[in-house]
Amino acid sequence: MYKYDAIDQTLVDQRVAQFRDQVARRLDGSLAEEEFRPLRLQNGLYHQRHAYMLRIAIPYGLLSAKQLRTLALISDQYDRGYGHFTTRQNIQFNWIELAQTPDILAELAKVEMHAIQTSGNCIRNITSDAFAGVAGDEYVDSRPVCELLRQWSTLHPEFAHLPRKFKFAINGAKEDRTVLLCHDVGIELKKNTWGELIADLYAGGGMGRTPILGSLIKQDLPWQVLPSYLTALLRVYNRFGRRDNLYKARIKILVKALGPQEFARQVEGEWTHLQNGDDNFTKGEWERVAKHFTKPAYQQLSSLTNEQVIADAPEAEQTTFARWLERNVRPHQVPGYASVILSLKPHGTVAPGDATTAQMKAIADLSDQYSFGELRVTHEQNLVLADVEQSKLFELWRAAKKQNVALANIGLLTDIIACPGGDFCSLANAKSLPIAKAIQERFDNLDYLFDLGDISLNISGCINSCGHHHVGNIGVLGVDKDGEEWYQITLGGEQGVDAAIGKVIGPSFYADEIPDVITSVINTYVGHRLDDESFIDAYRRLGVGPFKEAAYKNSKKRKKVDDQSESALS
Amino acid sequence: MNKHIIYFPKDGQASLVSNEWQVWNGELDEGAQFESPDQASDLNKVLVPFHWWITHHHNTNIMARANKGEIGVWFATDDDILKHANIIKAGKALWPVVAAHFPIFRDGRSFSTAALLRQRFDWQNEVRAIGDVLIDQLLQGARVGFDAFEMRADQDLKVGLTQFDLFSVTTQNSWRRKRSLLEA
Repeated sequence: MYKYDAIDQTLVDQRVAQFRDQVARRLDGSLAEEEFRPLRLQNGLYHQRHAYMLRIAIPYGLLSAKQLRTLALISDQYDRGYGHFTTRQNIQFNWIELAQTPDILAELAKVEMHAIQTSGNCIRNITSDAFAGVAGDEYVDSRPVCELLRQWSTLHPEFAHLPRKFKFAINGAKEDRTVLLCHDVGIELKKNTWGELIADLYAGGGMGRTPILGSLIKQDLPWQVLPSYLTALLRVYNRFGRRDNLYKARIKILVKALGPQEFARQVEGEWTHLQNGDDNFTKGEWERVAKHFTKPAYQQLSSLTNEQVIADAPEAEQTTFARWLERNVRPHQVPGYASVILSLKPHGTVAPGDATTAQMKAIADLSDQYSFGELRVTHEQNLVLADVEQSKLFELWRAAKKQNVALANIGLLTDIIACPGGDFCSLANAKSLPIAKAIQERFDNLDYLFDLGDISLNISGCINSCGHHHVGNIGVLGVDKDGEEWYQITLGGEQGVDAAIGKVIGPSFYADEIPDVITSVINTYVGHRLDDESFIDAYRRLGVGPFKEAAYKNSKKRKKVDDQSESALS
Repeated sequence: MNKHIIYFPKDGQASLVSNEWQVWNGELDEGAQFESPDQASDLNKVLVPFHWWITHHHNTNIMARANKGEIGVWFATDDDILKHANIIKAGKALWPVVAAHFPIFRDGRSFSTAALLRQRFDWQNEVRAIGDVLIDQLLQGARVGFDAFEMRADQDLKVGLTQFDLFSVTTQNSWRRKRSLLEA
């Protein structure tokens, strides 16, 4: 993975010193909270319900064992013994003292990490495919472009105070594991017929109050000119994005108001003045960065069949091991290797995406032992060991079970994406975590989950949509009605190449109704399913009707709902 | 009007200098000391709103003062400077100083205005930041193209002067310097 050079290291060290001075001025009162707020946000520091929350970047999801040990140290010394991996390849700590944040950032800088631009109205942490470099369906390894753009966007002065936050996702594979179309800018990398690296750009996607899928605005852009093209795009947004209304300030509103074609035309107009300038990447810069993303020292191995791998397990364990292989293990580009997803979604215990200090340390050791000391963080809030020898899968499975990260539920109903919700977040209208826990407890039968197959269930505690409920096959959104917590259900959302925004099925439910509602929806699917038809395929075939009918059949409380606020939200 | 501004020329050191320019908010400016810049004290040079300049620069008194180098313009955040490129190009020979306004420190539109002035118009004279200009935005402003800062009255100018040397490296080009590259 990428190693900082002297420039990167100097920059993060000096950023720590800058923030240390800003915190000191805040603490001595010479810097007002209102003016400190954007400064701390641009260093990932939120003020939440109980304490400060620090969001640390894991750029494009890559993490070394050494870095994970530092995160464990922070969890242990500065927080309460756990961290929360987010949907955008960050980790959050929830119990931070303001005065200690410069020291935490200094610890991070020692292992080439930072919290720069993980919040605030600026270019955020760039996310990518957790399987970049190893995925069987990859056109292009996205990581060198991700790293070049990480550097380009870091402390970019012109775009330090945009109308609103700005998120990039970059994909280089056939399947989309980045929710590309729900980003302010999505960059799809590919190669042209001459083998040159080019990019298609999508702009104006996003979730939140107004979920929209991004529109294609530029095709076949050579990778070298990404900085000048993105400067043009961000400049148009910086100058003309709305600043009068927080809810209309994202680029998606500008793109929608102008229309994608007109937006693209304005960007193009600006770009004509920049495209031949010296902002563009050089071959030398590519080589400096790309040399870090060469393949690790793989052994010459032959591929094993599933039966051969399963045969490593004693007979009594073969069924459960086989299930884990099917759900949690992915094919690899190199013969004899596989990628393993460690589930951070055990049923009914902690928040989806949480890892304790002990788990972080143990997982760091597993990565050293089985995967060249590297890990990846997925959009679904799980961890990946990308380069595991197939012959060691059984051994790894046993070790992962001891850490409670081997549940074979990847992609199943209980692999829930959830934001921290009202338990922590001061923006939230409602709690997410107890809902996730109740659903996991209701569906705590792995045989049944396994039969149901791929279903995504995403929960957001408010319309900011950090839990990505809009793109869950089943989405749960917390809404506030007169101080009470209610939950709205959406169906039909999907991430990936067939991305879709889910549709609200009707009035909201009380928290305690949700497990029954989900059960009704699932039973409807099972009742109508044709052969091995997936949930989303069945939904697309049947439409919302039968699901809606079942969901409301037993709901006693729905009449109390104020429908007006419902329509305001949808 | 502040007595001092921070002046930080492109290839020089940041320092405090006397402020010679008064910002005039236009005819609607309540409590202004004058109704039109031709009535302002001869001691003060005046920065007038760009939209006011567009409609009043044919006035002979104004032009007379402008020809003496006593008039500059300031750009509001919603002035589209690219739409008025011809007026700005003509202004290059007239205005010793132009300014871009920050209605609130976290409104970054004037960063793009300064960048466009330097890149597109090849603006060589002073570009001044005015309005809600605070210590922690000075460095960003200096990098996009500002070389003078009239700070909000409560800001500590001495702390302001320390902001420009915080980083010895950069990872993208800006008006002042190209991105840092390692020695081969």
